[in-house]
Amino acid sequence: MASLEDGTTSLWQQIVRRKPVAAMTDETGTDTGEGELKRTIGLFQLSLFGIGATIGTGIFIVLTEAAPIAGPAVVWSFVFAGVVAGLTAICYAELASTVPISGSSYSYAYATLGEGVAMVVAACLLLEYGVSAAAVAVGWSQYLNEFLDNLFGFTIPNSLSNAPEADGVINLPAIVLIVLCTLLLIRGASESAKVNAAMVLIKIAVLILFVVVGVTGWNSDNLSDFTPFGLAGVTSAAGIIFFSFIGLDAVSTAGEEVKNPRRNLPLAILIALAVVTSLYVLVAFVAVAAQPLGDFEGQEAGLSAILETVTGSTWPATVLAAGAVISIFSVTLVVIYGQTRILFAMGRDGMVPPLFHRLNPRTLTPVPATIIVAVVISLLAGLLPINFLAEMTSIGTLVAFMIVSIGVIVLRQRQPELPRGFKVPLYPILPIASVAGCIWIISDLRAVTIYVFFGWSTVALLWYFFYGRRHSTLGKSS
Amino acid sequence: MTLVVGYAPDGRGRAVLHLAGMLARSGGDDLVLCAIVPAAWPPSPARVDAEYRAHLDREAQEALERAHERIGGNLEISTVVRHARSVPAGLLEIADQHDASLIVTGSAASGGAGTVTLGSTTSRLLHSSPLPVALAPRGFRTGADARVTRVTAAFGGSGDDLVVGAAGVAARVGARLRLASFAVHPRPPYTAGVGREADDALVREWMQEIEAAQRAALERVRDLPSVPPDCEAAVGRGETWQDALEDVDWEDGDVLAVGSSSIGPLARVFLGSRSAKIVQHSPVPAVVVPRGVAAELADEAASAA
Repeated sequence: MASLEDGTTSLWQQIVRRKPVAAMTDETGTDTGEGELKRTIGLFQLSLFGIGATIGTGIFIVLTEAAPIAGPAVVWSFVFAGVVAGLTAICYAELASTVPISGSSYSYAYATLGEGVAMVVAACLLLEYGVSAAAVAVGWSQYLNEFLDNLFGFTIPNSLSNAPEADGVINLPAIVLIVLCTLLLIRGASESAKVNAAMVLIKIAVLILFVVVGVTGWNSDNLSDFTPFGLAGVTSAAGIIFFSFIGLDAVSTAGEEVKNPRRNLPLAILIALAVVTSLYVLVAFVAVAAQPLGDFEGQEAGLSAILETVTGSTWPATVLAAGAVISIFSVTLVVIYGQTRILFAMGRDGMVPPLFHRLNPRTLTPVPATIIVAVVISLLAGLLPINFLAEMTSIGTLVAFMIVSIGVIVLRQRQPELPRGFKVPLYPILPIASVAGCIWIISDLRAVTIYVFFGWSTVALLWYFFYGRRHSTLGKSS
Repeated sequence: MTLVVGYAPDGRGRAVLHLAGMLARSGGDDLVLCAIVPAAWPPSPARVDAEYRAHLDREAQEALERAHERIGGNLEISTVVRHARSVPAGLLEIADQHDASLIVTGSAASGGAGTVTLGSTTSRLLHSSPLPVALAPRGFRTGADARVTRVTAAFGGSGDDLVVGAAGVAARVGARLRLASFAVHPRPPYTAGVGREADDALVREWMQEIEAAQRAALERVRDLPSVPPDCEAAVGRGETWQDALEDVDWEDGDVLAVGSSSIGPLARVFLGSRSAKIVQHSPVPAVVVPRGVAAELADEAASAA
């Protein structure tokens, strides 16, 4: 260790230094009285919020990617991914309730597990937000094409609406979507609670439409070979599908505002999970029963295409595509917003250059960060295929929440005296099951995904080694 | 009464502070200094943007404290940082909470120094505010103890409410009252066979009418229970709004009161233009008064003991 010493602070001390909770509450204004959040959210409201934050988007995109991997047993992949997502969300709830701050899992990790871990979590969050924005944008471009085709008989040429690996040149609609969102965010646009609720309703309505119409094409022959690829198929499909459960963790961070969090937090996570998983399973069941497995491969705008085959008419597919186009736009906006604000927090901590927390004085939006994020996401969305993007998002999210689950165990050992607003039931079984579930899903992802993830983590750690630890605001102040 | 002051959290726009200070000193009003920052978004309890919003809060609070020091004096001043989806919406919410009588804002940064310029925020505020809105010209400055010395009410020849209401306010704060009407008449670039001055007679005719109307209005003001220390009238004439506004004299301590541009006969009689034009060429702070409020003020003035 001696060789790594850097002045008075060793590398190890830098990696494990934690941001004092007092400094964080200072920043978030908890002590001014205004930051004190009232406990106003009940179980019903919290469950609805969880459903709203989770449902949709993913299922529009991942089903056609996951079905060929697992066969009709993709239904089980949804259940499996859902259970793991639920376990991680419950662990996250404990971590979030341990520190009286609010923020992303990056902030929680910084306060409890140290700077080095926070950096890794941040790298994962870049996948969960940035890369998922790209994946969502690619899915949007598919549904847009379907919509244009059905309504006007016009499609954007293949070379301009597909990534190079899918025989295209660049995915232009996806880039256009990201640019539009960026312009809105730079201007300081936001979405009202009403619009947000409408978007959730559109997503749910569209999925129900799919189930109701799609079930008319039920053909049991398609289900005759239910698990053609065995358990491995089910878990590796779950890796892609995990993507569609992102958002469930949002419930966990609401701890401070929830009435009786000990009871309501886990219950709300379970209720949201049950509702979302049931809907996903219904959709998946209808989809795999409606068309032979071979048809899924390479199918674009999957849910729309299935409806078209089943009904023989285009209108249900058009309605579904329209719903997807509208609601996915909203999701992209929210995800890019989240990414820029996470980078803002990192910029404040000195983990990324100060450019990322520079605000435009009129609109009070982080314009440079937004533009940089948009350029990177556009490149990803324009040039990479959707299944790779979805898997990268999944692995990032899985690793972030695996770290959170480990963090719960670490904190229970190291600081058992800390007051915890919410404690994980069945400790230590539940956090261990959560970690095991994450590892299981990760281990069945494609090798290329895992390699790229390790490469990315290495880059993040190198970045920390050469930049973050020297520029850390925390390190400078001590 | 309470004046709500919209202050940009970037610390620019001292003009609004000077205006707010002058108005508050004149009327003995409290000030609520407000900075509006973007609302929590997406509307959810998940706070991925907590640090960002905390930063906005703190910056805004610091800006407000600096503003508070700048106004100084012995005025009652409180500060509020509010999260809102738009600046006008935030200001109106605060005004509603504090039961404010006036909202004070500055000019858009794009305008020239010395005139009131409506930006996207102020325009929207003017269209949605049920309260009078005071607008500071860009770069407006006053002395540390400046007060309103004269209220100039833009007068279109009919509709007394604004004039009577302004008279009531002027009497209360001990300022003089002036009625000002503006005749804007661009000479046609063509002669149409009758010469470019053909319309001048028309303008003269209109001016005689308006002067009579002004005298009548001043008579009613003099009958009020409480009369401003001095009442006068002026007509500004010019080929453009700017010329017409500059045609009357202005002094430090002048405030121009204009009826709401969106409704009412008041706006219509200004030779086919809108009171927004007057506001935008005003060299002094302008107060845009919605018609409903003007009527209330007029009632108050008429019934004041």
